[in-house]
Amino acid sequence: MSLWRLEWLRLVRTPRALSLGAVYLAIGLIEPVATRYVSTIVGHASHGAVIRLPKPTPADALSSYVSEAALVGLIVLVAVAASALGFDSSPGLAAFFRTRVRSMWQLVAPRFVAYAAAGALAYLTGTLAAWYETRLLIGSLPAAGLFAGVLCGVVYLAFAVAVTALATSLARNTVASAGITLAILLALPLLADIHVIANWVPSALVGAPADLVAGTQHLSHFLPALAVAAVAAAAALALAVVQLRAREI
Amino acid sequence: MTALWPQTSGPSHPLAHLLPALPALIPVLVLLLGLDVYCLVNLVRAKSVRNAPKLAWAIVILCVSAPLGAILYLFFGMDRSGSSGGAVTRPPRAAAPTARVQAAQAVVRTAGLAQLALTATGLTRDYGGTGLFDVDLAVPRGSIYGLVGLNGAGKTTLLSIIAGTRHADRGSVSVAVDRRQIAVCPDVPDFDSWLTAAEVLDLARSLVAPATPPAVRGAAEVTTALRTVGLADAANRRVGGLSRGMLQRLGLACALVGDPELLILDEPMSALDPAGRADMLSLVAAMRGTRTVIFSSHILADVQRVADQVGILRDGRLLYEGSTRELMDTYLTPSWLLRVAGNAEPVAAALAAQSWVTKVERAEPDMLKVQATSIEDGERGIPAVISGCGARQVSCEPAAADLESAFLALTAASETAVMTGRARP
Repeated sequence: MSLWRLEWLRLVRTPRALSLGAVYLAIGLIEPVATRYVSTIVGHASHGAVIRLPKPTPADALSSYVSEAALVGLIVLVAVAASALGFDSSPGLAAFFRTRVRSMWQLVAPRFVAYAAAGALAYLTGTLAAWYETRLLIGSLPAAGLFAGVLCGVVYLAFAVAVTALATSLARNTVASAGITLAILLALPLLADIHVIANWVPSALVGAPADLVAGTQHLSHFLPALAVAAVAAAAALALAVVQLRAREI
Repeated sequence: MTALWPQTSGPSHPLAHLLPALPALIPVLVLLLGLDVYCLVNLVRAKSVRNAPKLAWAIVILCVSAPLGAILYLFFGMDRSGSSGGAVTRPPRAAAPTARVQAAQAVVRTAGLAQLALTATGLTRDYGGTGLFDVDLAVPRGSIYGLVGLNGAGKTTLLSIIAGTRHADRGSVSVAVDRRQIAVCPDVPDFDSWLTAAEVLDLARSLVAPATPPAVRGAAEVTTALRTVGLADAANRRVGGLSRGMLQRLGLACALVGDPELLILDEPMSALDPAGRADMLSLVAAMRGTRTVIFSSHILADVQRVADQVGILRDGRLLYEGSTRELMDTYLTPSWLLRVAGNAEPVAAALAAQSWVTKVERAEPDMLKVQATSIEDGERGIPAVISGCGARQVSCEPAAADLESAFLALTAASETAVMTGRARP
């Protein structure tokens, strides 16, 4: 059994794959429905008061999906990735792996690829569900913008998994690793407030699907953030390997 | 952009306006219902669940807002030890020690024996007053080396430095075998709980032997290693369902499956029952001459039984290193309990007259405790004296000639003196 098959089994034999898929799928299915019926729901909740909301657009539905996925979906992805990448959390498990591999990269690579791919697949599934629901209830979404947005989202999720790998090299505890990762990822939008670097911060990719579908931005607008996310992910993985190599058990 | 489904307005029934959205709502309902059904089926099939009784989890799944209840169950309730599936749940039957020894001999590889498998010089790891200090080690190739010491003496630190999982502040370790030919079994082995025992072994084999052999040969190696440690019947059981003793056996199997030249075992018998310990000791003893084994233990009887070389650690310092026999000869006054038929007085007088006898005392009316200058003198002289007296010997056995006594004598001596050389209390 290779380390790649180990990660596949970890995904399918534990609730990781199921949870990841179910969360993104649920968000993708529910958010467009909520967007379409938000005025009805608010109207019923306000006991007869008349509340006028602008008619939802397909871009609104996708934006709603993206914002939920960027929070709930990201938390689930980071949690499952941290539990897989945190092989040092148990000294017995750490001894098993560390005394048998030639380099830490051998342990980190399959985990990173498996969880980045699982996150991408779950994100794509959720996006397709959102597209289906939006098309039924509100209207069509432009395919080119949608898939360009998915590309940006997938790169951001890969970046998030790489940051998780770095966090597991800094803390042994899975909860602590997940906490560090989320703190970093949630702090990044603060950097975007600095106008000069706003387009370069990887968190700019989070809202890319909504912007690309609405037509307010082109894919070229996100190229700096895509490049920074890719380079930062590679750097995070390299640093994680260095840190893990130096760590004792 | 237009919706495929017609947009409606002004429904007569409060829920009527939802009807047009039915095709959109059905997938949501299927997902939520599917997750709940999956969790309920899993709950019914599970032999056990975590953190709460099954009834409580059923209530959580059904009553807590979907899909939150189901997700809570998936993460915190579902038992991932495999007890709900069709895994074999029969308790493993331990193989007969002889069969196990034969299996071990099948696993081990005979190699040309050089002088030393491992040497360490001046190893120091200071944890602020505790740790390891100036430890020199010389482990002959093909030997069974027992590392003895009280809790906190530094055994695990020393083994970890040798294994490369910890760094020394000072000193060096030189290993005469390929690093990939070193296998380590920690005192508390741990594996992913959702793997079966056979899968864990297959993983261990593939990690230490990247040039993967044909599948059949790989499977045979796994089967042999499982049989060697008495886990053949548990091959398809998930690790989460194994006892601590079985995990320890599995850890040893993982170490053996790579056919290592140097085996490092940290407290390998600590979780085993007496029968399991005896089997494991037989297994380790069978490796003598074919591979080098370094194992730590604070159970001195175990070390005495299998180790031909012993190192004694105390407070991070190596008090003694050498052969087990030499240690007992050096630090124990050889003595025997001699029981004779009838009056023991004439025998006591005859023994007291011998130059090699240092002390004779009556332990019981028909029993004498005899101390000699050396083991050889006692073993040769006592039968001769009894024969000379015309007395009949009932029994004659060494008194307290065990490693524990030597260990106590050695550590007591270390309180008052600092010695150099091979024995250095």
